[in-house]
Amino acid sequence: MKTQQRRGSRERRSRHTIRPLTVVAALAVTGLALAGCTGQGSGGGSDDQPDASGKVTLDFWNGFTGPDGPALEKVIEDFNASQDDVEVKANIMPWDTLYQKVLTSVAGNDGPDIIAMSASRMPQFASQGLFEPLDDYYSDAGNDTEALATAAVDASVFDGVNYGVPVNFTPMMMYYNKDLFTAAGLDPEKPPTTWDELASMVPKLTVDENGDGQPEQFAMALGDHETVPVFASLLWGTGGSIANDDGTKSTLGDPESIEALDFWVSLIRDQKATQIGMSGADADKLFQTQKAAIEIVGPWMTTGFDEAGLNYGLAKPPAGPTDEAVLADVVSMGLPAGTSDAQKEAAYEFFAYWNSVEAQTTWSDGSGFPPNRADVADKVTASPYPAIFGAAEVTDVSKTLLPGVASGGPIMETIFNPSVQKALNGEGSVEDIFTDASAQVQAELDK
Amino acid sequence: MLPAPVLRERHTMTTTAERPAVKLPPPKRRRPALRVSGRRSLTAWLFLTPTLLILIAFTVYPMVQALYLSFTDYNLIRAAEWVGIDNYTELLSDSAFWNAFGNTVLYAVVVTPVTVVLALAFALMLNQAFHGRAFARTAIFLPFIVSLGIIAIAWAFLLDPNIGLISHWLSLVGIVPEQGWLSDPRYAMAAVMIVGVWKNVGFYMVIYLAGLQSIPVDMYEAARLDGAGVWQRFRNVTLPLLSNQTLLVSVLALIATLQAFDQIYVMTRGGPFFRTETLVMLVYREGFQELRFGYASAISFVLVLFVFILSMVQFGYLRRKQVTY
Repeated sequence: MKTQQRRGSRERRSRHTIRPLTVVAALAVTGLALAGCTGQGSGGGSDDQPDASGKVTLDFWNGFTGPDGPALEKVIEDFNASQDDVEVKANIMPWDTLYQKVLTSVAGNDGPDIIAMSASRMPQFASQGLFEPLDDYYSDAGNDTEALATAAVDASVFDGVNYGVPVNFTPMMMYYNKDLFTAAGLDPEKPPTTWDELASMVPKLTVDENGDGQPEQFAMALGDHETVPVFASLLWGTGGSIANDDGTKSTLGDPESIEALDFWVSLIRDQKATQIGMSGADADKLFQTQKAAIEIVGPWMTTGFDEAGLNYGLAKPPAGPTDEAVLADVVSMGLPAGTSDAQKEAAYEFFAYWNSVEAQTTWSDGSGFPPNRADVADKVTASPYPAIFGAAEVTDVSKTLLPGVASGGPIMETIFNPSVQKALNGEGSVEDIFTDASAQVQAELDK
Repeated sequence: MLPAPVLRERHTMTTTAERPAVKLPPPKRRRPALRVSGRRSLTAWLFLTPTLLILIAFTVYPMVQALYLSFTDYNLIRAAEWVGIDNYTELLSDSAFWNAFGNTVLYAVVVTPVTVVLALAFALMLNQAFHGRAFARTAIFLPFIVSLGIIAIAWAFLLDPNIGLISHWLSLVGIVPEQGWLSDPRYAMAAVMIVGVWKNVGFYMVIYLAGLQSIPVDMYEAARLDGAGVWQRFRNVTLPLLSNQTLLVSVLALIATLQAFDQIYVMTRGGPFFRTETLVMLVYREGFQELRFGYASAISFVLVLFVFILSMVQFGYLRRKQVTY
């Protein structure tokens, strides 16, 4: 009885402590949700100044995590060895991580000195004041920017101001698995050149061995989220697009756009041309494991596919009924707003080196990316891919997606991709979904 | 900690020789109780100070800061500009907010009770003596201490449509989804819910286990003497005497589910087409993807308010069922 009482009194005491504790716990846990949204800081790069010897160190953030990483580091090594004033240090991380960290790091004055990112994301960050204008880099004849591909240079322009210098410029090409083509009774040297040819090959390239309605082999590997925006580029094939050229008016609901979307959604839904719901990485995996015969992607996959022992061919992506639909991907490097003159000068020296004949040769040989300037094409001999991806018939018709549109990133991630997923899952007709999406795109453009 | 009188008693018993050295405080007649409680609370506050400082620096201050930011258009780079209640009025007509709100409520309404009931069931099972009990307890508790990021990646692999083990097993019994479980709008929410339950149930089970072990055996003996069966003993002895644990577990579980983020972020990123986007996911998206930290802060605060009110209501309701024995 005595123990009973003592336990009772302890219970009573703990009962009284539960209430404030719970409130505190509730506050603490809910506080976590907010923790990420605080901390104010002004713009500006890191504050490291030249050291005693006068050498400027530049922290270069980029996302070349693939086989292109070593090529990038080789160029940087050469640059560091070529002079004594500037030292560039590459900080390679997945692009995802880079996009997540870059704002907080720059705001906290503890960030990169040079930031590489997809040129399509640059306007969004530039409009928020993250980047330093780099027009004076282009006005300096000594930097030899005239030699660079115009599309590569223009990709980082936002509101008439250029905020970036190209790291790479490449079209997406069609990889096709020759062995799977042969097995399907198709000529492995005749990849589809038009959408209609492709559509006629889809049933042959689709294999459902056990007849459960779920193919073991798909004709295509086409991601619908977290990927290079290949799906959006398909709209060009019928003369459609997401927005007009100056990024003021949504054209997603126009008949031309709807025509392309109808074609692809029905090809995927009715003929199971690709697995639905894949990210870009899933699509790469599907092609790499020979579970898909065709994928449209950039030169960064060549190494992976070679290592997997795939017998593949490369060709220009099939053309639509009225137009070509070739997506160009540009990665540009920029400087955080508020970069000091000394750092800017040092960074410009690196930019000029990166796009020099010597460095572009090293970069293309090592990475398989086409060079940013045409005059080095004949010097690139170690890898066959720069010539294939840099072929004029491909690059000349390639286009970047939504160039200079500040809301390009949000439009793709929160409107276009989700709408494609909806359509592919049959959550409404293509016309309804994209008419609605078009209104949302317009609202983003008007912001 | 032993109560102070016990300590002193033991001290005097074991060190009789030093007894004269012990300097007892001079007896005071005036309000001794208050003095003791005053001294005790001072000690308590001193013990709490480090934690409180951390709490103020890392929770209270950010919360206040976020409250301020929710009335601005802050984007992390430029100085914040005051926009009044614009963010809050925009929320009301933002379909993304209401979608996330609905998903959050759905997640909480399903996951909270399932977690609590399962935790109780596991605790009851694992309170019995049987071979391999320690292993079973560890196995159920383990997911709780492993990083949710890692767990979610493992689950994403298990559920992968092409190489996933679970997908393979399900295909053996004829269940073949048209696409990956996590990218299928019909199953994605269920998948992240299952992982959410599986992840946390072990923690709540341990709380229930502790509760079960503090129920005096004589209560069961008395009930048995009165002719109570297994169900009646559970219904009339176990369950009421676990009310304190149920209160704690359900409040904690509710708060945790309303904050669901990590496994969703890793497994589905809120997709397909926002079907699994919870409020915290939306806060993340608005803040870090759309660079609208002011608006994201406003959403956070609506969530804070929601969680706070719900917790209070829940507490008020369950408190009436509390027991002392």
